[in-house]
Amino acid sequence: MKNLARRVVFSLATFIALAVVSFVGVDALPGDGCTALLGRFGTDAKIDACRKENNLNDSVVVRLKDWSGDLVRGDLGYSIKRDEQVSEIIIPRLRNTAVMAAVAALIAFPSAIVVGLLLGRYPRKLISKAVNQFSVIAMTLPEFVIATVLWLVLSIWIPIFPGVSVMPSNASLLQLLPNVWLPALTLAVVIFAHSMRTMRASVTNVQNMPFVESARLRGTNERKMIKRHIVPAALPPVVNVVALDGAWLLTGTFVTEAAFNFQGLGRLAIDAISDRDTALILPIILFGLAVYLVSSILADSLVRVFDPRLRSSNR
Amino acid sequence: MKTLVRFNFLKNRALIFSVLGFHAFVALLAPYLRLSSTDSQDSAALLQGPSLNHWLGTDSLGRDVFSRLLHGGRPSLVIAFAATAISCLIGIVIGSIAALAGGWIDEALSRVIDFMLALPTLILLLLISSFFGQDPLILSVALGLMYASPIARVARSATQTLLARDFIRVARLQGGSRISILFGEVLPNVWRVMFTEVAMQFTWILLAFSSLSFLGLGASPPTPEWGLMIAESRSYMTLNPLLVIAPIMMLASLVLAIQAMVDHE
Repeated sequence: MKNLARRVVFSLATFIALAVVSFVGVDALPGDGCTALLGRFGTDAKIDACRKENNLNDSVVVRLKDWSGDLVRGDLGYSIKRDEQVSEIIIPRLRNTAVMAAVAALIAFPSAIVVGLLLGRYPRKLISKAVNQFSVIAMTLPEFVIATVLWLVLSIWIPIFPGVSVMPSNASLLQLLPNVWLPALTLAVVIFAHSMRTMRASVTNVQNMPFVESARLRGTNERKMIKRHIVPAALPPVVNVVALDGAWLLTGTFVTEAAFNFQGLGRLAIDAISDRDTALILPIILFGLAVYLVSSILADSLVRVFDPRLRSSNR
Repeated sequence: MKTLVRFNFLKNRALIFSVLGFHAFVALLAPYLRLSSTDSQDSAALLQGPSLNHWLGTDSLGRDVFSRLLHGGRPSLVIAFAATAISCLIGIVIGSIAALAGGWIDEALSRVIDFMLALPTLILLLLISSFFGQDPLILSVALGLMYASPIARVARSATQTLLARDFIRVARLQGGSRISILFGEVLPNVWRVMFTEVAMQFTWILLAFSSLSFLGLGASPPTPEWGLMIAESRSYMTLNPLLVIAPIMMLASLVLAIQAMVDHE
């Protein structure tokens, strides 16, 4: 418990430090909200007036203080370029990404655990070797290649899903759902390969342990062996990977979303960066950081819950 | 079918090295192969299928796909080599210094490494490339700096295990200074341990740059680059699927061969 509290405090400090660094870093980039808004048509006078209106002429320290004060109060800021509150831009996209991530997680994680178990248990089967090779390939290829292949196969050759999504960012769930499949499948392939291999390695490892051998000598049948002895012991490392992959599903989706023009947070980040909309870039970076920090704490605590050996040593 | 699955192409040494050899040959010699120009546009022959003039057909601007394909690995390879060299240099030096020095220096350097590992790599790359232009030099340095931290971490632990070995103790007892031990004993041995990590890093950097190109922020048109070629041709997949399949095969075979070679060592 003491350990957990220390990690939370340390992560909070890391978050604050990185938030300040990000603010100063993004601020140091050439261009601000006003130059982004006015583009190449902005005369010096116009840009100056715009800066005055939005208090961009204050020093970095003053603006950092204002910005962090607003952030603590839950105000994410205002995008001059898009003339909208940042929260109003982000929330619908975050929902879209969350739906996509949930679909991907529901497809990938349960199947990865089952397939990993079977592959670890029956490594000599032909199908095991084939699935294993597939997972190596899936883990090596970049997402945009997987995305393009899935699009070609599942949308053009066998037209099951729509390819590029055409929908407003605030589409209803019913409108959203058909567009979610292909990007979600792309992400699912990546995390399936990753978590399946972890599960397989973990099962292989557990199988060689003395307690499994002794259970086998006692004449335990296969069903009970898997349910009582192998799965509980093999899960902890997989839980860790699942937590980290889950975080990646929320924050690592730029390429996949761009590939399908899916209106999520990753797509928004790329748009904001190409528009040089600094006010919008910062909250997205901070969101990614927060997810990363929370998930790594969550991963370690979950492992403790699942693994009794770690629990007792901590007391 | 059964023999096909049984044949583990990721473990076949001859296959792996011939694929790597093919890529090395193509990447080094593409400009000297008397291919048709990568930029010349033939407006009378857009999006054509394979023919004698254009072995893999033409893209949406009437450019020869085969020629662009053979040139398409060069930008990413150059950047991946440069960035890997930078990240190795920084990472191995920082990592081994941290392990050798110990104490507060080790603690401070380790915190810096942790900090760098927490940075969102792709967002940073996109920012750099968007705000400072798609300059290969800037991108190599940025990639090299960003990928230095994992190398530093592995180098640190590799050095730590080395330090417990007898020959380092002997060097210390012989009165070798820390710097001479670093260059004479540690670095040559760390290098051997690091090979796997570095090769993996190389593929990640290669793929990161290709992904950047795919997003339109890596190689800039009309440079032939596989990621960019895939992005440019995706809208024409229905008309000529070869336009995307060919660069995908090139990128996939290169990355998988490197990966398989690493696993083999």
